Amino acid sequence: MTGQAVIGGIGHTAFGRLPERTAFDLEVEAARRTLEDAGLEPQDVDGLITDPGPSQGILDGITPHYLALGHYLGLDPSYTGSDILGGASSAAIVQRAVLAIEAGLCSVCLCVYGDSALSSPGSFGYGRGDDAAFGLFGAVGIHALAARRHMHLWGTREEHLAAVAIAARAHAARTPHAQKRDLLTLDEYLAADSIVEPLKRPDCCLVSDGAAAVLVVAAERAADLRHKPTRILGHGQASSLSTWSSLEHFDELPAARCGPETFARAGISAADVDVAMLYDCFTIVVLMQLEDYGFCGKGEAGAFVTEGRIGPGGELPVNTSGGLLAECYGGGMMHVIEAVRQLRGTAGDRQLDTPEIALVTGHGLGMNTHSTLILAN
Amino acid sequence: MSSKDQQTYPLPELSAFTRPFWEGCQNKELKIAVCGQCSHRFMPGVPNCPKCWSADFSLQAVSGRGEVFSFAVYRRTYHPAIPAPYVVALIQLEEGPRLVSNIVECAFEKIHIGMQLEVCFQEEDGFMLPRFRPLETPPVDTN
Ligand SMILES: [Zn+2]
Repeated sequence: MTGQAVIGGIGHTAFGRLPERTAFDLEVEAARRTLEDAGLEPQDVDGLITDPGPSQGILDGITPHYLALGHYLGLDPSYTGSDILGGASSAAIVQRAVLAIEAGLCSVCLCVYGDSALSSPGSFGYGRGDDAAFGLFGAVGIHALAARRHMHLWGTREEHLAAVAIAARAHAARTPHAQKRDLLTLDEYLAADSIVEPLKRPDCCLVSDGAAAVLVVAAERAADLRHKPTRILGHGQASSLSTWSSLEHFDELPAARCGPETFARAGISAADVDVAMLYDCFTIVVLMQLEDYGFCGKGEAGAFVTEGRIGPGGELPVNTSGGLLAECYGGGMMHVIEAVRQLRGTAGDRQLDTPEIALVTGHGLGMNTHSTLILAN
Repeated sequence: MSSKDQQTYPLPELSAFTRPFWEGCQNKELKIAVCGQCSHRFMPGVPNCPKCWSADFSLQAVSGRGEVFSFAVYRRTYHPAIPAPYVVALIQLEEGPRLVSNIVECAFEKIHIGMQLEVCFQEEDGFMLPRFRPLETPPVDTN
């Protein structure tokens, strides 16, 4: 290890339906905003790692995403690449930037997520290989199967899934750029349309056009930064690449390995986490992660999320900007950005009272991939 | 066999790995793979045993009986050839491996985890797919 890495800049575009914009021009805007936030110039950037969103990364792998974006940004980096771990990619590329900086391969590494998923119809509802013959479309089907297992094994009820969706909307109500800022009641949740039972529309993430980026910087350059740098206490990854359908009980994620291992490397425990930005493509994934990371015991997440524990003012605020369920689909990069904002103390109306440690997670490709970041002010 | 045309049924793309399994289905035989080295049983479609990496495995026909491991009811149509509602399930075969399929010939509200099923083959665009229906109690032999 030749040095330490910190997060020195954050930036993002508007999110929502932006049909006039391409993913690449959104990504360039996010990159520009990130450098402005950091107080650095394009010529300072010597690393570029990208997370092409669902409609770019999975469906079009012909031109490598980093190659196209690096061309538009006029970069000749010392280190580059794209990671395609689905929703685990954003935290994973920040991790990769940390590793590259610690190895001395680069010192200012731009990490970019972007997509125009809302203006690219069908990008979230693609068939799952040969299983499409049985109608298995979208990530929603696999997560509905997992939700049913959790309900069967642990007595989890739709009121528990609802509590996650309700908390997300309550957080988003305090987030000016969020796509869904209206509150959700339990009655509204229960009356909502089912998409794939047992999951209803409010259990499913938004789809968005937009881009977000963070700048990972060698600690020795911290004096050049406009904001107090955000420290990276730990990072981790775990995957299950064997057939998802053969997972033994189908009630936990690779997070059950990644979480405790990353906490141990960072020298903290779940009890030290002040705020958790948990990847929330579906409400059930939040419940599973609360268990896998040890915030509660296995099977106890349903009870844990009731009584407002993860909402505004709760003892473990989760996704304080509304997350994928209510803020926007920002890959997982908007989770990283919200953690940085909370730790900097710049989260506006939703600012927590001096949080010191934030957990950020990523989860992707059905049930396959998982990534973890532990950030501190 | 292409699923590119949105109006035609999204049939499996046969590959060297998957062809023997699907050919079995065309003969109304459901087959699993059994490793010749470590005896691991797994669903076909891969070039080797995922446990010991041996390429020495054979396909064997199974009873076709299994149980519901989990199920999901699609209320939204994702493909015009597969209109909702329909049930996607993970089926745990009596012989061990698990596969994705549909549950048919059963009211949705009667489906539950652990429910006993048997395979039935149904044709889509001239191609036989293995689906599952509730296991009927074997009739008493009155002869
Ligand atoms: Zn074997």
